[in-house]
Amino acid sequence: MNSKLLNELPELIKNQVISEDIALKIRQYYLSKQSDGPNRLFTVFGVLGSLLVGLGIILIMAHNWDEFTRPVKTIFAFLPLVLGQLFAGYSILKKKSTTWKEASGTFLFFAVGSSIALVSQIYNIPGDLSSYILTWIVLCLPLVYLLKSNAVAILHIVFSTFYACNLGYGYESIGETPWLYLLLIAFLLPHYLQLLKHRPEANITSIFNWLLPLSLIITLGVFVEQNDDFGYLMYVILFGLFYNIGKIPSFDDQKLRRNGYLIFGSVGTVIMLLLTSFNWIWEFSMTKNEFLSQEFYIALILFCLALAVLIYSYSKQWVKRFNLFHFVFIIFTLLFFVGMADNLIPTILVNILIFALGLVTIKIGTDKFHFGILNYGLLIITALVVCRFFDTDLSYVIRGLLFVSVGLGFFLTNYVMLKRKKTFENLNNKI
Amino acid sequence: MKPIYIFLIFVLLVLAQIYIPAKMILDQEAIIKTGTAYKFKTRPVDPSDPFKGKYIHLNYDITSVLSNDSTWTNYEPIYIALKTDTLGFAMVETVSRDVPESGDYVKAQVDWYNTYEKKINFSFPFDEFYMNELKAYNAELAYLKAQQDSLPNNTYALVYILNGNGVLDNVFINDIPIAKYVEKQE
Repeated sequence: MNSKLLNELPELIKNQVISEDIALKIRQYYLSKQSDGPNRLFTVFGVLGSLLVGLGIILIMAHNWDEFTRPVKTIFAFLPLVLGQLFAGYSILKKKSTTWKEASGTFLFFAVGSSIALVSQIYNIPGDLSSYILTWIVLCLPLVYLLKSNAVAILHIVFSTFYACNLGYGYESIGETPWLYLLLIAFLLPHYLQLLKHRPEANITSIFNWLLPLSLIITLGVFVEQNDDFGYLMYVILFGLFYNIGKIPSFDDQKLRRNGYLIFGSVGTVIMLLLTSFNWIWEFSMTKNEFLSQEFYIALILFCLALAVLIYSYSKQWVKRFNLFHFVFIIFTLLFFVGMADNLIPTILVNILIFALGLVTIKIGTDKFHFGILNYGLLIITALVVCRFFDTDLSYVIRGLLFVSVGLGFFLTNYVMLKRKKTFENLNNKI
Repeated sequence: MKPIYIFLIFVLLVLAQIYIPAKMILDQEAIIKTGTAYKFKTRPVDPSDPFKGKYIHLNYDITSVLSNDSTWTNYEPIYIALKTDTLGFAMVETVSRDVPESGDYVKAQVDWYNTYEKKINFSFPFDEFYMNELKAYNAELAYLKAQQDSLPNNTYALVYILNGNGVLDNVFINDIPIAKYVEKQE
């Protein structure tokens, strides 16, 4: 594409479409972009290479070379570690390129893991996987800042999530909550905030925009110990928080595919609401003790955070028009506490809420001429109808008519919008 | 921050990264050098660990002890004082919630209390013996074969005990290290 444009520059100058100065600037712009390209590619390959070599070393060590004596095996345990440290130290001292720092950081990350694993293997130290992973990631966390390494930061998030899941969801750790996970993620936040501040539109930043909320979604369940019902509330509030974060202009102004918060927040909210649109979900009762549980406090903290983001967004006038999605977590929290006394009212209201969300989304889609948003709204309503298909005593005829009408809705709305868009484009062309 | 400061912090990190595995080694070596060796009768089975490789899981013959104290709870630490029987194998002398004042003991974990049989079931912490990936499964088969061929109780783990900690040094079948025994069978 760029080369095509560059090839056409002489013709554009000849026909006096652009001046020679502008042509020169265009050429320089693309040349500077090209010089950046291979470096980025080198970094990616460097990280991938280190990742594969590091994992390979772990596997080779795991073979357990029993031909060697204990001291020889111990030397092998430290060899990759020292090598990785030398490479990383050299990168820092000689102010080497990002490629060097990222690759040496990734290699050192796995070398630390392999050395601890191999020592455990040599001395038959029984495996508590959680504490092993925790030691590993804590020993590598400073590398994120010392090497300014995004690859190590990504590995940190992935392994912290693995640690939290292993400890929280595992059979052997019933009753244990991986609170340290929160601390591990908190330590990474300054790095992430720096990325958001200085490189908001970089690809690596959008990877974090997806990875961080995904990690939190996966691990939130580990904080639910005994009061499972609070889990629904916790997740709806978390998705509400993500949605409101995703609507902050620095995220919202970017392409949708870069905004993991908004997509997770929106889709997650809809899924949770669909789940709680079934009556049997609301058949629970709460005692006083449940209001003193860790689940309640986590839900409370999440609620305060989400509310703070919402109020801040309003104070900064980031929310320009009413969008029901912003407020779902507040409405659901109220319904959740109503649900303790009565299970019918929240069921009905959640169904109405999903329907309203569907309509609001369709409205936004039509206002913006965006087929994706329009069909997402229709999909919400379809999902609601499908859910009701399974648990209502409505007659087959009524259910059938419901499906037909929603199906027709799909055709009609898309058709009407396509028509409007064409008319609009024709008008523009005429002007 | 100046690069030299970053480098100095990195040096501290390097020392920490080396210190952790080195400390693990020194702790284990101290137990092997100054601890008392005990033989625990055992039965090996063959699982694997994604990072450390294949190991044989050791199901020890000693898994429970009679006790009228029904207040023992799951996952509670338990101190097991050891003695040896006439054949030189490890036996439980007493169990307690506190560190025994004299003699060798192991800090283990209560699995559950059997109220019907009035038994405390527990697990020793040294139940994984890492082996060459090609030998781990064969070790389990060799153990089963040895059980059929010779006298019972012919497989034991040699564990060094010091101050409640144990280092699993080796596993023997008919007094031959299990890795060598597997090689011979092949």
